[in-house]
Amino acid sequence: MKRRLFIASSLSAALAGCGAIGTRLNDSRFHDVLNSAEALNHALLGTRGLAKEYAESDIDWNFRVNGFDTPMDSAYATLMNGNYRAYHLIVDGAVERPQRLALAQLRSMPLQTNITRHDCVEGWSAIGKFRGVQLRDVLDLAQPRTQARYVIFHCMDRSPEGLPYYESLNLHQARHPQALLVLDLNDRPIDADHGAPLRLRVPTQLGYKSAKWVARIEVVASFATIFSGNGGYWEDQGYEWYAGI
Amino acid sequence: MAQRPTVYRHSIATRLTHWAFFLAFLALISSGLQIFNAAPYLDASDKSNPAHRVLSIDSTDSHQGITTIFGHRFTTTGFLGYTDDGMGGKTDRAFPGWLTIPSYQALADGRRWHLFFAWIMVISGLLYVIVGILRGDLRELILKRADIPKLLPMQLYYLRLRKDPPPHGKYNPLQKLAYTTVLFVLAPLMILTGLALSPSFDAQFHPITVVFGGRQFARLWHFVLMLLLIGFFVTHLVLVTTTGVINHLRSMITGWYRLGAHDGTGI
Repeated sequence: MKRRLFIASSLSAALAGCGAIGTRLNDSRFHDVLNSAEALNHALLGTRGLAKEYAESDIDWNFRVNGFDTPMDSAYATLMNGNYRAYHLIVDGAVERPQRLALAQLRSMPLQTNITRHDCVEGWSAIGKFRGVQLRDVLDLAQPRTQARYVIFHCMDRSPEGLPYYESLNLHQARHPQALLVLDLNDRPIDADHGAPLRLRVPTQLGYKSAKWVARIEVVASFATIFSGNGGYWEDQGYEWYAGI
Repeated sequence: MAQRPTVYRHSIATRLTHWAFFLAFLALISSGLQIFNAAPYLDASDKSNPAHRVLSIDSTDSHQGITTIFGHRFTTTGFLGYTDDGMGGKTDRAFPGWLTIPSYQALADGRRWHLFFAWIMVISGLLYVIVGILRGDLRELILKRADIPKLLPMQLYYLRLRKDPPPHGKYNPLQKLAYTTVLFVLAPLMILTGLALSPSFDAQFHPITVVFGGRQFARLWHFVLMLLLIGFFVTHLVLVTTTGVINHLRSMITGWYRLGAHDGTGI
């Protein structure tokens, strides 16, 4: 597996200045050893159980905004100004029936509401009321082929360096009953800052899995050739692909 | 003066796990502070809630470091809040670079270190307890009912208010109290409060998170437990360095320990 820059190159250079130990601690073999814990955590905790569902009185009505800035490009502005009527969710890749779903089509599917806690990798938590389509219902429409293993979420937001946000789940995680493609947050259509018109919500994993501004769902056998090959924007920056802990 | 006898005090398993504990302890504290820096506040609640904030380490626009504990504000510029950025400068950051791994702000790396050394700590702990049970020497470390009346006399001896320690075996009653508390109370709580921060653990064992008062409260307990373990570690260092540091270090490396005047002989 291709190993990623753990550290921005400038920081590496600064640390390398500290001598041999610094260099040794930044080399990829040492990081492979550290990273071995991820497989243990995945094996220990996996994707089991249902996230606790809260009461209306627990909701953070002013749900915290985090992550990249709301997309500012003209394509997104056009979508937003048209109240997202021109939006279509693309579902393609290793599927029998590629889909192109308008918001109205998604809204006509059975919707699930759950009030769950969003746990950020940074350490904070917020509780929101999420209503949307179960991800597994959308996958069932597209019918993943037998070689399909992962679901990639391609998003409309970009990092300050211009890299697109993306995330991935394996099919087991994607079929989790609480994994939603969210249309409404806290009883209102999700707004631009929270990922309009459609965001992913995976309450059993850390917040960076719950990608905002989802444009396309690509079903694949492997994510090794997608961007830097670690299955997500933050994973490409060194964060764990298994975000259950 | 006749030399006192040398005894084989620490098994190879004890010595290896002792140094594994030491290494993992330092790595866990410093990577834990790195992780804390990403959200430098602790709330006594389930979700984040400033109304229940117990601790926050912040900075003002004019680069003053402000640490707030139970609503009391302290200026901590240079140490906490506005401090060493780990790259030779200063920045808005809770704990300084010389206390964190990596020294500069890098949450992803901090998490990798923390979750790896958590496993080292857990595996070493299990090994220590299992070998201790099999060899039978864990019994000598555990506080028993008969040790309780000896706790006060032992404390008086340490305070030099009593000439001789109460009779005891390999470990004195206060050592037994400390090690029993660390091994069987603080360490399991440390693991559970850490796991309670995991959304996947919470989905499977939510009642455990509830016992700690929720996810953010578990984060607060995890921090408090760290402070208690640092307290144990500092006490341990003080006692080791003031009661024959060479003898202690040698026994934790080679296993052999020269008995002192007040050491029990029930090896």
